[in-house]
Amino acid sequence: MDPKLTEVSQLFDRFKASFLRNDYDNCSHLLSQLKVLLTGFRSLPPLFADTPNAVHELTIARDIYEHAVVLSVKIEDQDAFERDFFQLKPYYTDACNRLPPSPQEYPILGLNLLRLLVQNRIAEFHTELELLSSTALENPCIKHAVELEQSFMEGAYNRVLSARQTVPHDTYVYFMDLLAKTVRDEIAGCSEKAYDYLSIKDAKQMLLFSSDQELLEYIKEEHSEWEIKNGSVFFQKAKESAPCKEIPSLQLINQTLSYARELERIV
Amino acid sequence: MATTLVSSAGGMLAMLNEPHLSLKLHALSNLNNLVDTFWPEISTSLPKIESLHEDEEFDQHQRQLAALLVSKVFYYLGELNDSLSYALGAGPLFDVSEDSDYVHTLLAKAIDEYASLKSKATESSDESIKVDPRLEAIVERLLDKCIVDGKYQQAMGTAIECRRLDKLEEAITRSDNVQGTLSYCIYVSHSFVNLREYRQEVLRLLVKVFQKLPSPDYLSICQCLMFLDEPEGVAVILEKLLRSENKDDALLAFQIAFDLVENEHQAFLLNVRDRLAPPKTQPSEAAQSKPSDADSTQNASANGQDDVQMTDGDSAPTVDVPEDPIETMYAERLNKIKGILSGETSIQLTLQFLYSHNKSDLLILKTIKQSVEMRNSVCHSATIYANAIMHAGTTVDTFLRENLDWLSRATNWAKFSATAGLGVIHRGHLQQGRSLMAPYLPQGGTGGGGSPYSEGGALYALGLIHANHGEGIKQFLRDSLRSTTVEVIQHGACLGLGLASLGTADEDIYEEIKNVLYTDSAVAGEAAGISMGLLMVGTGSDKANEMLTYAHETQHEKIIRGLALGIALTVYGREEEADTLIEQMTRDQDPILRYGGMYALALAYRGTANNKAIRQLLHFAVSDVSDDVRRTAVLALGFVLYSDPEQTPRIVSLLSESYNPHVRYGAALAVGISCAGTGLSEAISLLEPLTSDVVDFVRQGALIAMAMVMVQISEASDSRVGTFRRQLEKIILDKHEDTMSKMGAILASGILDAGGRNVTIRLLSKTKHDKITAVVGLAVFSQFWYWYPLIYFVSLAFSPTAFIGLNYDLKSPKFEFLSNAKPSLFEYPKPTTVPTTTSTVKLPTAVLSTSAKAKARAKKAEEQKASTEISSAPDSTSSAPSGGKGKSSGEKDGDSMQVDSPTTEKKSEPESSFEILTNPARVVPAQEKVIKFLQDSRYIPVKLAPSGFVLLKDLRPTEPEVLALTDSPSSTTSAAGGSATGLQSSSSAMAVDEEPQPPQPFEYSS
Repeated sequence: MDPKLTEVSQLFDRFKASFLRNDYDNCSHLLSQLKVLLTGFRSLPPLFADTPNAVHELTIARDIYEHAVVLSVKIEDQDAFERDFFQLKPYYTDACNRLPPSPQEYPILGLNLLRLLVQNRIAEFHTELELLSSTALENPCIKHAVELEQSFMEGAYNRVLSARQTVPHDTYVYFMDLLAKTVRDEIAGCSEKAYDYLSIKDAKQMLLFSSDQELLEYIKEEHSEWEIKNGSVFFQKAKESAPCKEIPSLQLINQTLSYARELERIV
Repeated sequence: MATTLVSSAGGMLAMLNEPHLSLKLHALSNLNNLVDTFWPEISTSLPKIESLHEDEEFDQHQRQLAALLVSKVFYYLGELNDSLSYALGAGPLFDVSEDSDYVHTLLAKAIDEYASLKSKATESSDESIKVDPRLEAIVERLLDKCIVDGKYQQAMGTAIECRRLDKLEEAITRSDNVQGTLSYCIYVSHSFVNLREYRQEVLRLLVKVFQKLPSPDYLSICQCLMFLDEPEGVAVILEKLLRSENKDDALLAFQIAFDLVENEHQAFLLNVRDRLAPPKTQPSEAAQSKPSDADSTQNASANGQDDVQMTDGDSAPTVDVPEDPIETMYAERLNKIKGILSGETSIQLTLQFLYSHNKSDLLILKTIKQSVEMRNSVCHSATIYANAIMHAGTTVDTFLRENLDWLSRATNWAKFSATAGLGVIHRGHLQQGRSLMAPYLPQGGTGGGGSPYSEGGALYALGLIHANHGEGIKQFLRDSLRSTTVEVIQHGACLGLGLASLGTADEDIYEEIKNVLYTDSAVAGEAAGISMGLLMVGTGSDKANEMLTYAHETQHEKIIRGLALGIALTVYGREEEADTLIEQMTRDQDPILRYGGMYALALAYRGTANNKAIRQLLHFAVSDVSDDVRRTAVLALGFVLYSDPEQTPRIVSLLSESYNPHVRYGAALAVGISCAGTGLSEAISLLEPLTSDVVDFVRQGALIAMAMVMVQISEASDSRVGTFRRQLEKIILDKHEDTMSKMGAILASGILDAGGRNVTIRLLSKTKHDKITAVVGLAVFSQFWYWYPLIYFVSLAFSPTAFIGLNYDLKSPKFEFLSNAKPSLFEYPKPTTVPTTTSTVKLPTAVLSTSAKAKARAKKAEEQKASTEISSAPDSTSSAPSGGKGKSSGEKDGDSMQVDSPTTEKKSEPESSFEILTNPARVVPAQEKVIKFLQDSRYIPVKLAPSGFVLLKDLRPTEPEVLALTDSPSSTTSAAGGSATGLQSSSSAMAVDEEPQPPQPFEYSS
């Protein structure tokens, strides 16, 4: 066997070991070494050179990136997740005719969908969705994300929150937590527009907080422009900050009419 | 397994964000390979890659890689400027030798950028414009690569464009074929370098390179030097060659001199001549006796070896006769070369050629004469003009002498032009010119016998005879000018003086003409204005401002017009230098001065095809309020474009359909001028509809232009020539045709058969320099719109279509060469024949093939003799020596027979695919391509030129030489000089006769 490949597999074994031990610092360290080593293989995307060990190399590389993605969820690093996922993607999309499908494929795709949902990147979410085959859509991991999105769009936030209990994979939990936050932000944004003010009690219920304390902290951190007066939350200030300009409609109408008259006269 | 391709660059883009440097590098290099497909995806990550380029932590290579990637993406996005600046940042990674669109585009961009920066820097002479050293490095890398790859032409072109003379020099010296490269470079510098000053710089460099060569191409050097106006250099070279032991060098010197003469730069030639050092000991008697001795020794050396060592060894015998033989030889050669440089030799030879080969068809003239109405003076004088043009330079004035009675109807100005016409006919007859004109010239004192009109005309005629070579006649003309106060004589004298001292910028003459101008007489003043221009041609002197001031002061339109043209002439060829003056003239209130401005544009940018000039002219052609200005603007396009005749029909094609007849007229003449003598098919197609225009003067212009285009084109090469001839005849014979177009048709027939059918109109010499006399001639000619006598200026543009081979003694030896094409393609038009007993109206005559047939049988024997001579070239010299020096007229006949032998062969057998021509021979421009020199000939040409004057090297100098052309018109006309009437009834044998060939009736009946 190719010595380089052996080195990678050995390193990868060590990585997996630390991964099981939840020694994430060591994992990240090993991972970056692995990635550098992977650049030495010419069979990997984007070159796809036909080397004798191509299948083996591709498989191990895919495995490494799959682990990397999971690791990034564990260490709660969304940027790393995105990076690793994009590097992993060619293995699913372009190398599918060379490799047997990975068992991890759908969970990871689902994770990515969830991530997009969390980051509120709905357009990209749908783009990803369109790229999936109909069988993939049947997969519970994907289905979960799709349903979540639907609830999210409908505004059925309680369903979103309750879905946390039915996650198909334990790595999803992290994103579900984040999703709750996203939902809260959405609600906050809507209430801002919908109400002039809300009583603290109503606000607490609306924003799904269990205590006043949590609500106050949230307001302080995220929406410092809200005012708390007489036991109510006033959103007025936020509205004032962006006053919409009045359209001089009457003047415009007059002008347009005069133009029309002139035009008629010319013709 | 099918090759797998990635479907997205996303993975690699994501990898760019990895913290590890080597991963980034890996991503960059992969992206760099993928960029051609995935640039849209990558373009969204541009800021990231740009920041990588600027990242100080990165090492040099990675940053450059990032820059290259960014550059490529920008290239695909169409942002070439950004792309270029990043490509510069990529340093050595930007591979100039890569064969991709990206690299090609960016290189072009880089060169453009660099060239524009460089030219901006030199133009403003401002140091503040700094050229990016990286840009410079890229261009240099490209140039070096071109040189290494052997793409010298590319390298040179780029170097010239970028003003990198150092690189240009390198490219030339390192090329494998230095001579070829140099000549290419000369060509490029003339055709593509628009700035005059820069072109001179390039040429100066070329001369420098030339001189460094072990065996310099003196012909080219001298051409360059002429362009730079450096007579000293030429003189030094000529002197060196003349002093050389080797006879070949002397031949080369003569050849150089002839080539220089062809460019017709009188002032320069005189300058060169005066700079040639006189021989050290002026031999008095020795000059006559010694040369033969010296020659024989020289011949031996020339025969044996051309090597320098050989001649060194050969110089031993010269020691025996110290100093003398070399100096004698030098003196003798010097005399010859001075003769050549003064133009006398070439003029005389041309004269001989035109005289002996004259094929003009008097019957055409006779038809014209009979068909035009007597009282119509316009057509009457047009016929006289046509006659003069037809016989320009042939000295054959039979027609005039036979029709003295008819001629006497010319009165006043018609008399003036009739007399001046003699000057055209005798053009170049330097020795006899004055005695020929003597009967008409003003007699001593004021009140001579003749009318002032013929006297003025005679002075004008003298100018035409001595045009551009007026050394001998200048003084006489000045005296005549001074001693008269008659307007008409002043008019003629001014024109004559201007012509004779063309471009000499003689201050004294200028002052005298100025005095005439200040008399403020309309007739004399007009001529004075033109004359001042002729005198100052191409000097760009500040005299122009003086003239401009006077043009503003005077009331006479004629004077203003003369001055306007004169001013235009002074800026001839000055290009950008003339811009201020042109601006001044074109913005003037007076349309006549604007009209002069058009001429100034035309002449300053003659033959440069300069875009700015063309744009300006087109602008005036459509926007000026005066028809005169518009007409001239279009016409001027012809001058600007004559170096590139193919372009003109395209550019003026729209204008030729203008609603304004003046513009159409201008378009016709523009095509006529720039395509003169080319027979260009598009030009003819453009002119054809104009010859049947609804407006009479447009028809006139179109007919003249057509004749100019078709001159010397045979019917065999373009059938439309025959059609055109018939059309002319029809117009002339038609009683109801307008006078204007009739006049056009008469002039057109004159131009079509100009100079005894042996000349063409040529504005460029064979070395692609502009012929100043020819251009000036046509410019003034185009003034005939206002003043008919100026028609004669067209004769300045005529150049003989001849191959004249000369030996060391500047005589034409018997020498044969091959024209590798069907003879009928280039033959003379067949002479028109008289229809059976001329009675009332002449019908268009059919050309009888029998006349050719007749000739064929009559000369069959001679033909065969000739062909045997051809087949065994070495024998040819021995077979025909009996003629000897005397050279009977029979021998001469034999020569001319061989020239038109094609007609004879045509009937009997399928036409041969080649033709043997005998020195001196008529070689029309289109024929030049097919001229070949025979391998085993006794003489070989010094320069492989298919026409013009060519010096021949004698390979067998010991054998007696047989000369081909010795009879000259001077012998016959010298007799005629005394008795003005009885000129050459016997010797002008050939086509001069208006009767058909004597044997014809006999042959016809058989």
